[in-house]
Amino acid sequence: MKEYDGRLRLVIKHYPYKYRDFSHMASEAAMAAREQGKFWEMHRTLLKKSPKLDRNSLIKYAGELGLDLKRFTDSVDGRKYSKLIERDKKLAVDLDVYNTPTFFINGRKVIGNRPYEYLKMIIEEELKGVKK
Amino acid sequence: MSKNNKPVLLLIPLVCIAFFSLNVYAGHLEPFRSVPVPKHNPQTPEKIELGKKLFFDRRLSGDGTMSCATCHNPEQAFTDGQDISLSYPTTMNWRNAPTLINTAFQKFLFHDGRVKSLEDQALFPLMSAFEMNQNLDFVEEELRVVPEYVEAFKKVFGGDVTRERIAMAIAAFERTLVSVNSPLDKHLKGDKSALSEDAKKGLEIFEGKGKCADCHYGVNLSDNRFHALNVPENPALLNEPRVIATMRFTAKVYHYEDYKNLREDPGRYLITKNKKDRKAFRTPSLREISKTAPYMHNGVFKTLDEVLDFLNKGGGPGNKALKPLGLTGEEKRYLKAFLTEAPAGEDIAIKYPEVP
Repeated sequence: MKEYDGRLRLVIKHYPYKYRDFSHMASEAAMAAREQGKFWEMHRTLLKKSPKLDRNSLIKYAGELGLDLKRFTDSVDGRKYSKLIERDKKLAVDLDVYNTPTFFINGRKVIGNRPYEYLKMIIEEELKGVKK
Repeated sequence: MSKNNKPVLLLIPLVCIAFFSLNVYAGHLEPFRSVPVPKHNPQTPEKIELGKKLFFDRRLSGDGTMSCATCHNPEQAFTDGQDISLSYPTTMNWRNAPTLINTAFQKFLFHDGRVKSLEDQALFPLMSAFEMNQNLDFVEEELRVVPEYVEAFKKVFGGDVTRERIAMAIAAFERTLVSVNSPLDKHLKGDKSALSEDAKKGLEIFEGKGKCADCHYGVNLSDNRFHALNVPENPALLNEPRVIATMRFTAKVYHYEDYKNLREDPGRYLITKNKKDRKAFRTPSLREISKTAPYMHNGVFKTLDEVLDFLNKGGGPGNKALKPLGLTGEEKRYLKAFLTEAPAGEDIAIKYPEVP
């Protein structure tokens, strides 16, 4: 994003894996962290710590990130963002997306965790087609 | 399932002599001809169509997230474009997904050649814990509750849904994925204007100084054999616990004695337990090679240039299959022009089926 500052917008959609006990709660945790300005920090932590994403672990990670733990825990326990997460899941199904991560780069579907060079190649191709 | 794309291969002279005596076609390139079809599984339009539906059907994976097309994507020359193939959620694969184009010509499937027919191959990824992770008894029942499938199996095979018939239908579809009317085919049929001047020079090197045709010959530009080139391990995977788990799991399944301490891909040895097969992998087809990067069984080389450099220096340390070729930069450029241009056939147009 730094490299393409101002020319690229990244939109994240949640797609918690249906067969993992804590995946929905992990999405809630990311959103709860976002409320406190730490979405990306939590996002990276979740990827790094997966599959250890039970409630106590999430609270521990929130503590490590310096979040207000009461606010964080209330948000996660109250499933505050459940509606948004379910909406994202429905969008994924509507778009026939079943794998994570899946990227849509200017509409081009890219499935799987790709090296930066691969994504960069597509971004460059798409940027060439953008009218200034 | 995984892939091994080694565009150029050289054998030491002694091996070549033995090899030529075994195969009169060694070194000869041949144009496309009709695909071999086993007598027990003849091609019919209905069977191909059924196979295509199954190929795109996510029911074939345990959690419904993957179909065959996930890793063999028609829009990426029936690969997934990754160094290491996509995998079942929460796991990681350990090898590269090969293209399905021209697999009908292969005498062995998988990088380690564990099976000899597309029918035998098709169910492996379905069952594999790190690929589609499906249970075959279960998938039979999943398909039996779909009236369209019940009807199609009855029409095509005259009977019920079975795992064997699932594999037969998928294999029939895969036999339609062929590289045809490439400049190489036209050249070999006598059209001397089919190749550019650079590609013609590349062909001379391919058959001469580069010794590529020692192993890459015939219709499919492959000797259907296994060679230990000592391809380097993919550094991105060496310390990835999920890859190590997958590698050891596979080795355990194949009764590799010391599977718990395995740190590198044993290649064909896994199947034969023959020392000469350690780190040996199947010679890949070079048809459509420019569209199927990254290369080798573990996708360690991102470009054809990297592959050519590896082969030109005589392969990996300690290998006995290759010697340095001494190709100049210009010769490598011609060779690359040949590989990029000559074996690239017509685009395969796939009309996506309506999965019931």
